[in-house]
Amino acid sequence: MFSQSSYLKRTIPLFIQTAGAHRKPRWLPVAKSKVYRIPKRPTTSEEERVELLRLHNNYKTQMRAIRRFYHEDMIKEKSTKDSASSEMSQQLEADEWARCFELNEKWNAEISAAREERRKLEIAKLEEYTLARMEAKDKELQIKIKKASEKIREQKELSKTFITPENLDEAIDLAIANPTDYNYAIDMKGMKFEGRDTIISYPKEDKNVAAN
Amino acid sequence: MATGTVIKYVGRTTDFKGKSLGEIVGSLKNFGVGRIIVRSVFLRYPEPSFMKIVKVQTCPDEERRRVRVGVEKTFRGQKLPNITEIYRTSYKTDYQLIPKREETRLLESINTIGNKADVILPNSIEMPPLMKLFIIKDHEKKGLETSKDFMMPLSYNQSPNRTNKIAKANEQPTIKFTMGLGKPVSPSLYDGIPL
Repeated sequence: MFSQSSYLKRTIPLFIQTAGAHRKPRWLPVAKSKVYRIPKRPTTSEEERVELLRLHNNYKTQMRAIRRFYHEDMIKEKSTKDSASSEMSQQLEADEWARCFELNEKWNAEISAAREERRKLEIAKLEEYTLARMEAKDKELQIKIKKASEKIREQKELSKTFITPENLDEAIDLAIANPTDYNYAIDMKGMKFEGRDTIISYPKEDKNVAAN
Repeated sequence: MATGTVIKYVGRTTDFKGKSLGEIVGSLKNFGVGRIIVRSVFLRYPEPSFMKIVKVQTCPDEERRRVRVGVEKTFRGQKLPNITEIYRTSYKTDYQLIPKREETRLLESINTIGNKADVILPNSIEMPPLMKLFIIKDHEKKGLETSKDFMMPLSYNQSPNRTNKIAKANEQPTIKFTMGLGKPVSPSLYDGIPL
């Protein structure tokens, strides 16, 4: 594609690599294959050289003048500022300080008044909330006491029927006299027949109904 | 070994032409005091530039490529008042010895060349147009007087090698510097471009 001589004489690399591409570290010597590759010396015509020299000289002279002008300007400005700050501006600075101080005081007063008001409101709100809570608690307690007293009364009433050593014999007698049979039977229609030895008999109309 | 071996040098070319100052001075009688040398890069100027060796000193071992030489320097046809010392640049292989028979011709050529003292460089330059506007605005803002001739001082690099004079306070300069491109020295480069 490229003849070797043109490849050797080139001044600009044929393939420009990006910075991230792999390349030889700087501290390694010239590659063996590149030892005899000597970059061509750039040549400019005499005309161009003279003209460029003139233009560059022009530019440098102009820029030097501008830079010097602004540098001196800066120094002058700085010196005037410094001298002013020594006497005149001290008074100004004090005035400014006083003004700032007063303003700050005013702001502080405003803020503190607002804070007082806010605190008052907050305390009132808190009081209200606490009172409401206390009241609710009281009510709850009252209800609880009421419930408890009712239960006690109930139990007291019930206690009349309790079996005690005094009426134990009586209770036994009563129990023997009135035996209780908890057995029962249920037929297909869901009718309940209590007692173990109960004889099951349907009424007449019921039998008809059952036959139907 | 074959006698007809041709040495082929490989490497980058250089603008330097000659030997290092140590080489020249070391091979001369009385270390070349009184002889004239030239730095070949200074030969680019039309006016003669050369140096007369006045004093030669050796250097410590670590600096064996260098030599400390005091010279009477003539740069661009002007002889410098003080003796110049060459030390840092003495290793450069750019010095040439002038043969004794040519010395007188070289020394006389200073007188034949025109007096350069008649060129006086200006000490001020007019501001560029935009800068003028800026200055006017700036001064208005600060409440300063705006009447101004819009000239600013020029500064030059100070060097003993400076050949052209710079105008003092009331001196009339022979050259005028202006903002802008100026007149081209090689108009052929600007063919077809209105300037």
